[in-house]
Amino acid sequence: MMAVTLQQSSASAVVEARRAHNEKLARKVDQTRATWFPLTIMAALVALLLLQFTGNYNYLLHMVLFTASYVAMASGWNILGGFAGYISLGHSVFFVIGGYFSGMILARYGISTIITAPLAGLLAAVVGYLIGMVTLKVRGPSFIISSIALLMIARILFDNWELIGGANGVTLPVNDLPVQWAKVPYYYAMLAIAAFTIWASYKIKHSKFGLGLRAISKDEIKAESAGIDTRFYKVMAFALSAFFVGMAGAVWGEYLTYLRSNIFLVILVSANLVLMSILGGKGTVAGPVIGAILIVALNELFVATMGASEINILGTGMVMAVGLMFFPLGLVGTLARKGKLPRVLNWD
Amino acid sequence: MADILQILILGLALGGVIALMGSGLSLVFGVMRIVNLAHPSLIIGGAYVTYWAFKMTGVDPIVMLPVASLIMAAIGVLLYRLMFERETKSAKYSEMTVLLTFALAMMVEGLLGGLFTNTQRVVSPDYATDAFFVGDIFIPKGQLYAGIVSLTIITALSLFLKYSRLGYAIRATTQNREAAELLGVNVNFICILAFAIGIGLAGAAGSLVSFVFSFFPAKHWEWVAMLMSVVVLGGMGSILGTVVAALMLSVIAAFVGTWIGATWSTLTFFLALFLILLVRPQGLFGEKPEMA
Repeated sequence: MMAVTLQQSSASAVVEARRAHNEKLARKVDQTRATWFPLTIMAALVALLLLQFTGNYNYLLHMVLFTASYVAMASGWNILGGFAGYISLGHSVFFVIGGYFSGMILARYGISTIITAPLAGLLAAVVGYLIGMVTLKVRGPSFIISSIALLMIARILFDNWELIGGANGVTLPVNDLPVQWAKVPYYYAMLAIAAFTIWASYKIKHSKFGLGLRAISKDEIKAESAGIDTRFYKVMAFALSAFFVGMAGAVWGEYLTYLRSNIFLVILVSANLVLMSILGGKGTVAGPVIGAILIVALNELFVATMGASEINILGTGMVMAVGLMFFPLGLVGTLARKGKLPRVLNWD
Repeated sequence: MADILQILILGLALGGVIALMGSGLSLVFGVMRIVNLAHPSLIIGGAYVTYWAFKMTGVDPIVMLPVASLIMAAIGVLLYRLMFERETKSAKYSEMTVLLTFALAMMVEGLLGGLFTNTQRVVSPDYATDAFFVGDIFIPKGQLYAGIVSLTIITALSLFLKYSRLGYAIRATTQNREAAELLGVNVNFICILAFAIGIGLAGAAGSLVSFVFSFFPAKHWEWVAMLMSVVVLGGMGSILGTVVAALMLSVIAAFVGTWIGATWSTLTFFLALFLILLVRPQGLFGEKPEMA
């Protein structure tokens, strides 16, 4: 009897000591983290609008907005593809769901998509949850193939669904702001969505949930035998990643002022999400952000110098192949492995 | 009754072509565990070879078939050495190769689009628009010839795999890579050979496709899910399974197309793919459940 209590108390003492030690390490990491860097960039982007007083910088605003939408979507994709290791090539389905849901509300009732964006995200998440329940039964190449099939099925449905305009799509009302300021609401909305996604992605990675996802990506069977409810974790990861993609899609639809399935529902959008995450470093918080900035800049360069969209596809494919073959860990991952990752980019 | 027979015949003729399109994919997966998403884009590459040969010299597409398949096989060897040989040691090999072939598909599409623009093209030899009539039923000559040629090629392939020494080696590698290597099979050479045959089959399929369907560089996205559904239903790696699945699905798609509507006939393939992955991921004739 005595011996048992003694053992228990010493065991709990060990646990206490370990917890204290872990907290000390976490505090140390927190102190060395350069949180000022993303905050400064955010502040600079918010202040960027002041440029409009000095001239017309609509192109610059458009580029930031475009990048922010991809930052949000790639970071969202990263929750499933990076943390849990399930690569989906069908995420543009959630982009189109978000876009059409909010867009149709705007067209029918005149409520701005910026207000309905969280709802669009929720709808995308619910759809993602249901699809995930089914497709996440398979893994590896089978999952990737099933995600492509999903995209094709969605494309046929959206092209033939007369209620939402079929293949012709829907034209959305244009806001009545002067040209100089017309982009402003969408600019801030998209920045907010992107910032929220990055914050959420950080929070998820450092939660028990995120730890479980990373365990799944390393070895699903071991993760399951360690007591992780892998099924629920995977499906939740799918739903969460759909949520962010759906929100971005909602605002993007109104910004474009029209919805058409051959803009949203193309494999190139999905491919871009994968490419951005992998090139930046999948499974890291900063990776998709850096990847998105790189790919958007590269695309812009291709279009500006060579024009044709075919060259753009060729270029995207080549960058993807070279990235996969020589830097499978991505920019952030490769630098981190070599211990050369600058502190300002270590957001994990 | 005549209606049903008619649809059945059209479905079977198309199914023969689709079987050839899928057989290369199946072979490459069986031997190397590469899910080749670039396969349909390489088929389109073969179709362009045939198209230009026909346009410039008037060579018949079926005569052009061996040439197109040799050209594509050579490209296949090059691609394997450049892109896939170095990945064999990678830990997440098959996932990696899916993404690599996806990138390759985009590269091929961009290249073809840049060179030949995105106009719809079709090779039109005399028989492509002609048909035989048996009573009330008509059989389009183009599709019939294509179906016969493709089933002949698949039969030849099966005989080669079954009875030749190299065929033994390829099947041994499919079954167990390490054991084959221990018994003296040069696995790397077999991989290159199988990849070359697979892409060569894509070239051959391209020649047939060039007069059966109209094609343009971005068309391969429609085919990739279609071929995947055929190959997955048949069981990845099984040529016989691919043929059976291709004939089955294209007959079903033909019925759906006539009775429900043409847009929904392609949906048959995608829905089938979805269902098979969930119900029986190893397919009809597949043995290895490791895909799941």
